Amino acid sequence: MPVITISRQLASLGDEIAESVSRRLGFELIDRDALLKKFLPDLSAHETHMLSESAKFYLNLRGTENYISILRRSLHGYVHENPVVLLGFGGRALFSGHRAALNVRVTAPFETRVSRIRKRYSMTAEEAASTLLKSDRRQSRFVRTVFGDDIGDPLLYDLVLNTASLSADECAGAVISLFRELESNLKITEPAGQAAVCETPEFKNQAESEFAHLLDMYNIEWKYEPKTFPIEWDAEGNVAKAFRPDFYLVKFDTYIEITAMNQKYVTEKNRKLKRMRELYPGVKVRIVYKKDFNSLVERFKLGKEG
Amino acid sequence: METDFVRIAFTSETIAARVAELGARITSDYAGEEPVLVGVLKGSSYFLADLSRRIDLQVKIDFMSIGVYQGTTKTGIVRITKDLDIDVSGKHVLLVEDIIRTGLTTGYLVQNIEARKPKSVRVCSLLANPDQQLISFPIDYTGFTVSGEWLVGYGLDIDEKWRNLPYIAEIRRPAHV
Repeated sequence: MPVITISRQLASLGDEIAESVSRRLGFELIDRDALLKKFLPDLSAHETHMLSESAKFYLNLRGTENYISILRRSLHGYVHENPVVLLGFGGRALFSGHRAALNVRVTAPFETRVSRIRKRYSMTAEEAASTLLKSDRRQSRFVRTVFGDDIGDPLLYDLVLNTASLSADECAGAVISLFRELESNLKITEPAGQAAVCETPEFKNQAESEFAHLLDMYNIEWKYEPKTFPIEWDAEGNVAKAFRPDFYLVKFDTYIEITAMNQKYVTEKNRKLKRMRELYPGVKVRIVYKKDFNSLVERFKLGKEG
Repeated sequence: METDFVRIAFTSETIAARVAELGARITSDYAGEEPVLVGVLKGSSYFLADLSRRIDLQVKIDFMSIGVYQGTTKTGIVRITKDLDIDVSGKHVLLVEDIIRTGLTTGYLVQNIEARKPKSVRVCSLLANPDQQLISFPIDYTGFTVSGEWLVGYGLDIDEKWRNLPYIAEIRRPAHV
């Protein structure tokens, strides 16, 4: 079943758009509170407090899984049967690799949001600005800590809306229209009888798929090709070459590139990797060569991995 | 079986000397503390036994072991098959490994121990291969740096064989893999 995730700035009309989309499509609207209530119904008072105060707490283990992994797994199971509009909570990242997810970001100019907040809460301009800045910082920190994403990066979303001169209903119409378009395309491309839900991405080769399985075994949260790093630009500043590592290990903040190809392509890949390390020295990236990968898989078969 | 051996990578004397150095460093780093040494079964048993006797502090010793639980999934899930007996909350934990390659196992255990709110978690590994390490966490104490060779002895095994060699040897890649 389909999912629409809506990420929004405070006072960007994101909540109103989510409500309108949910009502018009008949999808269930799930926000942070509903999410926790539904999938972690037995939270203690301490856990509830910590989850509202600390983004890092979501990465703590509860049993053998961390909170995010429990929520992701539960949500994926739930949306199998129920169409959902997921509001906030870095919902896009929870559905990375999910082919039937439409990811929307709702924004508005700061001044527009200040004016909306002032009207809504009868605040001064300074109070409104301070409220917005706090909220923006909090959201950004949450998404960065839990998912390693930059919430403001437009490339994370399928559709970014600016509500400066649009109403919530107009924006909801745009979301629904795009959703309908995608839905009809998915129906055409899905083989008969197969659900339009894909919990694992389509890997380029067997090695990537095996590596994803290894990570799953160790309950290591990963994302597939979540980020592209530009490494060469032309004279006009357009990106001429980019490097997109295969995996991102969220908890360990490390990108992994799996190389299952011939040596001549490896040389080009090494060159890209070297350039990437020069341009992004703070980003941890590892490359796994074919030989090492085979050895890794062999060791696992022997139960010898360390 | 002797024909499978390529060379002795680390003699028992070399190992003993390095273990003594590591023990002295740990003694100095944890001065005044009472760390819990957690050995990862089964490979680290010899290393832990020797290392702990080279640490001049009150230490506590415990073990952990992980295995693959097959369940209903295609690939299985890694689970703890021997958990800690000691409550490590508020304590300094030193995880003792025989070898760290990709770091998947150690990363898993460190995450698990961290969830118990210890005062600190550090990692000590007799052998480490930084080129293979995929999961990035600091290895606070490393005995020897190795590359991708197949090693046995002093706790390391292939199919449960050769653990009890007093030295570490490189062997030819087993024929069945």
